Amino acid sequence: MTKPTVIETRKVTKTYNVNAAPVPALVDISFAAEENSFVSLVGPSGCGKSTLLQILAGLIPSSSGEVLVDGMPVRKPMPDKIAVVFQDATLLPWKTVIQNIEFPLEVQKVPPRERRECARAMLSLVGLSDFAERYPHELSGGMRQRVSIARGLAQNPRIILMDEPFGALDEQTRLKMGNELLHIWSRTNKTIFLITHSLTEALFLSDTVLVMSQRPGRIVDVIKTALPRPRTYDMIGSREFGEARNRIWELIGGDEPTAAERVGL
Amino acid sequence: MSNGMYFVASQSMLKARVIITQIAVIVAILAAWESAVDAHWIAADILPPPSTVMVTLGGLLRSMDFLANAGDTLVRVLAAFAIGAPLALLVGFIMGENITIGKSFSPIFNLVLAVPQSIFLPIFALVFGLGFTEKLMFGITHVFFVVAVSTMAAVHQVSHAHVIAARSFGATRLRIWLSIYLPAMAPHVITGLRVGMIFNIIGILLAEMYASQSGLGMLLLRWSESYEVNQLMAATIFISVVTILINEAMRLWEAGVGRWQSARMAE
Repeated sequence: MTKPTVIETRKVTKTYNVNAAPVPALVDISFAAEENSFVSLVGPSGCGKSTLLQILAGLIPSSSGEVLVDGMPVRKPMPDKIAVVFQDATLLPWKTVIQNIEFPLEVQKVPPRERRECARAMLSLVGLSDFAERYPHELSGGMRQRVSIARGLAQNPRIILMDEPFGALDEQTRLKMGNELLHIWSRTNKTIFLITHSLTEALFLSDTVLVMSQRPGRIVDVIKTALPRPRTYDMIGSREFGEARNRIWELIGGDEPTAAERVGL
Repeated sequence: MSNGMYFVASQSMLKARVIITQIAVIVAILAAWESAVDAHWIAADILPPPSTVMVTLGGLLRSMDFLANAGDTLVRVLAAFAIGAPLALLVGFIMGENITIGKSFSPIFNLVLAVPQSIFLPIFALVFGLGFTEKLMFGITHVFFVVAVSTMAAVHQVSHAHVIAARSFGATRLRIWLSIYLPAMAPHVITGLRVGMIFNIIGILLAEMYASQSGLGMLLLRWSESYEVNQLMAATIFISVVTILINEAMRLWEAGVGRWQSARMAE
C-alpha cells in the first residue's frame, strides 16, 4: 500500500533579475515526499536551498512550475498544512516559551483555552514542560530550537520544513538534537523536509536525501537510505554509510572529503 | 536557590544604601548652603537660604497668578507633545519601513538635530508672532525630529527573521505590525518620546523666556531682571522637580515595557 503524497514540486524554477539580466537560482526542481517520511536536502552553501524552502513555504513565489501540498497549489503561507522551523529559532524574546508556542495558534484565532492545551501538549512532547514560563533568553540554543519545533507541531501541519535547524549548534548537541527529532517525529504522523549542509545529519535522519548541485541549484541525485529504524549512532560508522556520504560528496562538487567529513563531522 | 535569595537580598540592600547615600548628599548640600548664608559667607539677597526659598515656594503654590502661568506653560507643553509626537511616530515609521524615504530624509533629520534648535527662535518669532502659535510650533519642532529619528531606528531593530516567521504562521500585515513591530519597537520608541518631552519642555521655556506675555519662562526672566531672587529660586526648583517627575514617570514606563530586553542584555 502506497502512502499518499504530501508535498510535490513540478519543475519549480527561480530566476532573479540582476542588473536586468536573468540569473537562474533554481532549475527544474521536481520531487515528491509521501506522508510520514523524512526527506533531507543537501547541497553546497549558496546553491539555493533556502530559496527553495521559502518557495515550498509559500513565502516567496517561484518563477515557474508549482508546489502542491495535499494536492493544493501553494501560493501563500498555509499554516494549517505547512510549518517552518528556521535556522535561528525565531522565538519572540518578549513572550514566554508557552506564549511563543501559542503564537501561531493565536494568529489563526484559536480560542485561548484550546491553544494553551495544545501548546502544553507539544511542549511536553519535546520534553520541556518545566520551562513553559521561561523566556527564550533563559534557554540554551538546543532548547530554543526544541521550542521552535514544538511551535511548528502546534500548527498541526501536514509537513514541517526545517532550514538548517541545528546549524548554529555545536556538533555533539547537533547529533543529539537530530536523534531527539527522530523520537518526536516517530510519535507524530508528520512529514519532515530538512535542509542541511551536514551529509552525516542528512543520511542519519532521512529516508530520502535529495542532492542539489551548485548554483544554479538542480537536483542531481535522490538517495534512498537503506538504514533500518530506529537509527543508532553506530550506523554512522558503517561502511554503507561512509560510501553513501562519499558519493554525495562527489556529486555536490567537493573534490575530496576533508578529514572532518571523513570522520563524520 | 539559596544563592539566588542571597543575591536578591544583597541587591535590595545595595539599593537601600545607594538611596540613603543620595539623600545624605542632598541634605548635606542644603545644610552647607543654609549655614553659609547664616555665616554671611554668601549674601542672602544673591543666594537666599533654602529655608527662605521653601517658604517662598509655598507662597507661590498658593498664588493664583503663579498657578495660571504654570498652567499656560503646561498647556503649551502638552499641546506641542500631543501634535508633535504622533506626527513624528508616523513619519519615523514610514522612514523606517520605506528604504527610499528613509535613506533620503534621515541624513537631513540628523543634520537638523546637530544644529542647536534655539538659534531658530528669532525666526519663529518673526514668522509666527509672539503668541501661542510660535510657542506651540517651537515645541513641536523640538519633539518632532528626535522622536522621528528614534522611531526610525526602532523600526530597524525589528528582526526580519521574526517577520518571516510570523508570515509563515499566516499573519496579516496588521497582525505583524501589532504583534512583532509594536513590542520590538516599544522600548526604543518610549526612550525617544522621553527625550522628546525633555526637548519639548526646553523649547517651550526658552520661547517663554525670549518673549512672552505668560508662562513660567516669562516669570523666570522677569524675576531675574527685577532681582526677585527668592521667587526666581523657588520657581527654578519648582520647574526642576516637575520635569524630573515627568522624566522619571516615563522612565518607569520604559523600564516596564522593555523588561524582556534588559533581561536579555544582562545575560
